[in-house]
Amino acid sequence: MAGGYRQQPGASSGGTRKDGKRVAGKQKFPPPGSGGSRPNMAPRDLDFIPESVGGKEPQPAGSHIHDRYRTGTEVGKSRALVDSHAKVTGQAWYGDDVRLPNEIIGKILRSPHHYAKIKSIDTTKVEALPGVLAVATGADAPNTFGVLPVTKDEHAMAVEKVRHVGDLVACVAAVDEATAMEALNLFEIEWEVLDPVFDPRKGLEDQDEPIHWRGKYHVGTTNVQKRVFQEFGDRSLVEDPTASSHGKWRMEGVHHGFTEPHAVVAHWDPNGRLQLYTPQQVPHYVHRALSTVLEVPMHQINVIRTFVGGGFGGKSDPFPHEMCAAILSRKAGRPVRINFTREEVYWINRGRHPSYIEVKMTADKEARISGFDIDALIDGGGFASFGHVTSYYNGVLATAPYELGSFHYTGARVWTNKPASGAMRGHGAVNTRCAVEVGLDEMAEQMQVDPIDLRLANLLPPHSRTISGFRITSNGMREALEKVRQGSQWDSKFRQMPLGKGMGIGCGFFISGSGLPIHWDPNRFPHATVHMQIDMDGGVTVHTGAADIGQGSTTAVAQVVSEVLALPIEMIHVRSHESDTSPVDLGSYSSRVTFMNANAAIRAALDIREKLLNAAWEMLGYHPDVLVLNDRRIYYKHDPAVGVSYLEALHKAQEDKGSLISSGAYRSPPMGGVHKGAAAGLAPAYSFSAYVAEVDVDVETGLVSCTNVWAAHDCGKALNPLAVEGQIIGSCHMGLGQVLSEKMVYGRTGHLQNANLLEYKIPSIHEMPHVTPIIVESSDPEGPFGAKEAGEGPLLPILPAVVNAVYDAIGVRIRDLPLTPDVVWKAISAKTKELGGIDETEMPSPRLEHSPLQSTLVARASEHKDRDRRRQRSEDTTAYVNGVLFGFDPNQPLEGQVEGWKSAVEPVPEQLAELGLAGKAWLKKEQRQMGGEQ
Amino acid sequence: MIPSAPKTIWSASVNGQDVQAIAPSNAVLLDVLRDGVGMLGVKRGCDLGTCGCCTVLIDGEPRLSCLCLAGQVEGQEITTVEGLADGAYLAPIQTCFATHGGSQCGFCTPGFLMSAEALLTKSQTPTREEIALAIDGNLCRCTGYQQIVDSIEAAAEIKRGDAPAANPASDPHPNPHPDGPDEPSMPPGHAR
Repeated sequence: MAGGYRQQPGASSGGTRKDGKRVAGKQKFPPPGSGGSRPNMAPRDLDFIPESVGGKEPQPAGSHIHDRYRTGTEVGKSRALVDSHAKVTGQAWYGDDVRLPNEIIGKILRSPHHYAKIKSIDTTKVEALPGVLAVATGADAPNTFGVLPVTKDEHAMAVEKVRHVGDLVACVAAVDEATAMEALNLFEIEWEVLDPVFDPRKGLEDQDEPIHWRGKYHVGTTNVQKRVFQEFGDRSLVEDPTASSHGKWRMEGVHHGFTEPHAVVAHWDPNGRLQLYTPQQVPHYVHRALSTVLEVPMHQINVIRTFVGGGFGGKSDPFPHEMCAAILSRKAGRPVRINFTREEVYWINRGRHPSYIEVKMTADKEARISGFDIDALIDGGGFASFGHVTSYYNGVLATAPYELGSFHYTGARVWTNKPASGAMRGHGAVNTRCAVEVGLDEMAEQMQVDPIDLRLANLLPPHSRTISGFRITSNGMREALEKVRQGSQWDSKFRQMPLGKGMGIGCGFFISGSGLPIHWDPNRFPHATVHMQIDMDGGVTVHTGAADIGQGSTTAVAQVVSEVLALPIEMIHVRSHESDTSPVDLGSYSSRVTFMNANAAIRAALDIREKLLNAAWEMLGYHPDVLVLNDRRIYYKHDPAVGVSYLEALHKAQEDKGSLISSGAYRSPPMGGVHKGAAAGLAPAYSFSAYVAEVDVDVETGLVSCTNVWAAHDCGKALNPLAVEGQIIGSCHMGLGQVLSEKMVYGRTGHLQNANLLEYKIPSIHEMPHVTPIIVESSDPEGPFGAKEAGEGPLLPILPAVVNAVYDAIGVRIRDLPLTPDVVWKAISAKTKELGGIDETEMPSPRLEHSPLQSTLVARASEHKDRDRRRQRSEDTTAYVNGVLFGFDPNQPLEGQVEGWKSAVEPVPEQLAELGLAGKAWLKKEQRQMGGEQ
Repeated sequence: MIPSAPKTIWSASVNGQDVQAIAPSNAVLLDVLRDGVGMLGVKRGCDLGTCGCCTVLIDGEPRLSCLCLAGQVEGQEITTVEGLADGAYLAPIQTCFATHGGSQCGFCTPGFLMSAEALLTKSQTPTREEIALAIDGNLCRCTGYQQIVDSIEAAAEIKRGDAPAANPASDPHPNPHPDGPDEPSMPPGHAR
């Protein structure tokens, strides 16, 4: 049928009310054949079609491999989240909103002791209480689990011993909450109380009774859970520095503070399959853990992710209470619901690690960063959780965006008798990033150069490698810095404002999806899989396991499918709640979802697109190369009236098989070095961000308030600018909480003293500055339509930006976070004393007189800007590795060029004496080296 | 079962409907609304009056239902998030929270909607400072509040009549051609 047939617009029909409004549910929705809800095809939206394929969307960073699939339908447009109407009408169902017929209520008995052995548990009285239907203790589930396969150290309930106040001891299910609460009082437990450890520094020493025992891998008899040593580069560059910074930091633990407390409902259906409803970021890991703990095959478990009322990393572990609900439900034969109180939320914790961090940095005579030493001792609390990874991230996620002469990292994570720390937005990178950026600020001050120029002259270019071997692809760091400098009017304000007013800069970079899937190797499964299905009605059902935790992953997946198929987003239905129907997905952590799931979704959609185009080819006689998809229609490029509707093409394509079905997967390319720990911090792409914060400091009370933030974030390509801006502002909020007010307060007796939202001080609207989000688009070559992450990276720069701004305001560097008024006031009064007891209001403000080095830096930055532009646009494809700035040839192994170029993952004995606080973990030997537990 | 407070029949007007629920005489309003009346849109975030997720309107005033005994509001008019929409038609505040990014994870959203609705009922020209004062009892961990304030400003604009009203909730197919089907469906130069 060459020449095709011309389409007629559909006739409109549908009800209207007397007042002219259309009646819901009875809109004109033409029958299949005309192809959609609107009778007419919308014109192509050239503003959202890239220049490289004939549109008008500017592409300063060059073209992208996905450009030819752009249809101008969704990508790049600010969109409401696809589930937003459920949320604003109260119909979104969170963990606590699941009500099953005949449900009973579960409650958990928690440890009153920091550290104790359980000698016996007598449940006779509990079972005798009328209304109690099931009781369980640690003996019911002896198998261990944990989010990382290498550190499975959790039980559903304590077996043998409890490790912190609030640790799970037993659980009970009863007909109502009051009965269950009463039952908790009837357990009779015989304890043997042990000596607890609260200070991670003490945990480095040998213990009588370590909190966990790792067998032959246990470090001495200490509480060290993980120790890391990494050394790269030329240590001789450190000698004779022009500037140096040495900072010792104390950072308190912070909690995610999501508004929805944990809740879980477990139900063994009549076929004996477990249905578990839980607000989870990582339903798949829960699935695995349930299978292990309950000794039931995975296919007999259906994990149903409810709406998640905020995650931020705090709902990314399989949790013991999820096991408890399943165990109780199995015993009682009825659905069991467990709701947490806010206090219980703090006991399960998994917040950011309380940390002792030491950073030593040096700069050489050309203001290059020659030395970069980090020592991080992190307090893991009672369990491993993600700690293995956090131990690496504290060091390796500081190796960009700057080019370093050498890098030295020692890290240790220590168990203590406190609720477990874990992953939290900006996982592991936040605290050291703050310390490093403040160090740079201090060195800029010593060298009398502008801290922004110091950064601009030391950036790694696009398409390069960091000192630890991470592959950087797109890199918008320079543009981000330039934009915040301009937006904040930095050059006319920095070091020029009166006492009490200040401005500071901070940068950051973060992984866009962990390159190493936690459970996947060596099985070589893909990182993400997406299934699609289209039936005769034309609606597209997308099955993905991506856990939408409010960040909008469902929306992102719907948007990219909509974009590729040129269908209105209302025709895309994303199903992501049930493990029975969704392909396996690793979950929402490490900012992987947009990058990996959207890439998988694009591949699935391309498969369908090809089938539709082939059908249109058969009908129209034009090859797919000259066919255009646009708004439910496929037509000949040079004569748009010649075409078929989407439904006509679909029905043609379905003639053989019925439903169109496709599957797409994503796997990150092989990357990185071969040294131990090389995989930690590897990602297929990295996001970059730069913030400028403006603060007011009341010198008489020490109260710091942040008034303005200019926040530039390189997210590759903003698929949904509204959502990206929301992530940037939200990250500022969370980071500001950590730097100004939030901390988990443990008293001298080790008790958590502020396990509620009144005393755990999350910023309210009055503490929020005005944030100006600035989106930088560097078009990542491997990202979906160029996109990278925007969820975690934007949090990093706000902490150092505020700390540096406080210095600009009052000339005092404070290295205790959070900067609460008491901390700041103490620092101010120390300063005034040092200045001879002057009044606070007469303290001098820091000022900047540029040294000759400044012009060197400006010249180098300008040269590098040109270099970066050429590399970003692939006009320059020569190799670039960290070290080129120091004169090394990127095409030769660096070890061969420099005597003393190091690449080590274990200290040599001579180094042991000079190691920092966390480095002391290397003073002990592992058991196997001591001949123990072979 | 352990003995509990005597059960009473609690009655009030919830979202314009007279409802009755059997509840212990010491029951908290939040529990009665969620489990007695079935308004699961009222969220429990902290039980201490610190997060604002459980905010409902009692006779038009925003109140924390977790700090309120059901008996205290017997017979009064209670509005929850479920009562904001007019059938299928979302209230302006609801649409604007969706379109302006006021809702991310959505858990705090019902509370913010009620606080904002109370403000907009009183004033349709609130300043950003007035909006901040109205919602300062509500915590949001996702948005950093900025887009929430944007949403409330946008809703005020609709209420004042300065911006067009929204589409019905259950109509996901808003008509992009309000002038009727006569708009060109094909690029110019082609016969239809």
